[in-house]
Amino acid sequence: MTPVLGALHFPPIEELVEWPGIFLKDTPFEVNKVVLLMWAGAIIVFGLFWAAGRAASSGNLVPTGIQTVVEGGIDFVRNDIILQTMGPAGLPWTPFLVTIFFYVFITNIFEVIPFVQFPVNARMALPLFMSLLVWVIFNYMGVKAQGFGGYFKSMLLPPGVPKALLPLVALIEFISTIFVRPFSMAVRLFANMLAGHLLLVTFAVLSAALFTKSALAVILPLPFAMLILLTGFEILVAILQAFIFTILTAVYIGGAMHPEH
Amino acid sequence: MSLITAVVRFAQEAPAHAEEAKSNPILPAWNEVIWGAISFTILFVLIAKYAYPAVKKGIDARADKIRSSLDEAERTRDEANTILEDYRRQLADAKNESARIIEEARQSADKLRQDLKKQAEAEVAEIKSRAQEDIAAQVERAMGDLRARVADMTIELTEKVVQRNLDRETNLALIERFIDEAGSAA
Repeated sequence: MTPVLGALHFPPIEELVEWPGIFLKDTPFEVNKVVLLMWAGAIIVFGLFWAAGRAASSGNLVPTGIQTVVEGGIDFVRNDIILQTMGPAGLPWTPFLVTIFFYVFITNIFEVIPFVQFPVNARMALPLFMSLLVWVIFNYMGVKAQGFGGYFKSMLLPPGVPKALLPLVALIEFISTIFVRPFSMAVRLFANMLAGHLLLVTFAVLSAALFTKSALAVILPLPFAMLILLTGFEILVAILQAFIFTILTAVYIGGAMHPEH
Repeated sequence: MSLITAVVRFAQEAPAHAEEAKSNPILPAWNEVIWGAISFTILFVLIAKYAYPAVKKGIDARADKIRSSLDEAERTRDEANTILEDYRRQLADAKNESARIIEEARQSADKLRQDLKKQAEAEVAEIKSRAQEDIAAQVERAMGDLRARVADMTIELTEKVVQRNLDRETNLALIERFIDEAGSAA
């Protein structure tokens, strides 16, 4: 093994995603880098909304800067997610879905922020909590809108299914709705962000290892260019995953409220 | 060590660390779940209660402003069209009125000219008639005067003839002299 390749040390995954406690160590409230980024994400999202709200309250009817970003995000969630999947009846859910969209996006985009470079959702905690919360909400809304029997009937017995297949379909629908939905939501977000993080780390480690005076340095531009491309790609992934998580939330809640849709 | 090697190593080592759930990067760490739940919940409450209504208010205010501006623009355009129609109608009325006034003026002028002409002709006729009457009166008076003079001279001549019994030559001389006197007197 050449000295250069010898310097190529890819750290174990635990080292990449598990962060040591900073304070409140060894308690259920231990604070590490991930928790700090959760706080930072919440503060940034609230700060954006607070600044936009203040600008709007000051009578600034022509939005600029942060106000444009926030109002653009709200318009996007309202017009392209809620109205498309839930209809006008879903508009009261705008604050909840807007919070999910912005929070997931900001905690994702930490992936490409210099010196932060870690997506909170590459840890299972936040995706799991949010998907369980969505699970509780859409089941509650289903029971509230259709009654317990009506909700489970519409969930388990989709119209147009031959009677012979109903037991099988009902079983599949039950497992799909009750068990798979929260799991798939959480894993989709978590796995995408973890995979993106590992890809960026891989090419960053490779580029760093090739940053030498040896002849191997001539191939340095390749992994470095890949790193830059993947950074851009991860920005798109951060937006896309925030969009997917939000639209799935809207679809699940809207479907539970109005099964005929 | 490559990524693939790392993944393989992770997969191989996972069972060995199965009892240490915290070290498994796929399973959630409870401290992160708790803080994630707290962070998300607080963020949602703050946004739903304070920040979102303010932003929404701004968006609604802008929508209202745009709606009212469009309504006002529509109303102003209608008003402008109404005013334009009024002006066009007034302009047409003014054109008709001016044509009527010009026509009336022309008719008045014609009538006035006719009247003046008639009046002038009447005055001319009257002056002419009066002049003819004056001339006739003058002639009549001159004839009267002449007749009276001739009578006087006839009487005077007769007196002279009667006072002197003259011969033929004397009578003729007398008559000639009388005629000369009468001619010079006239």
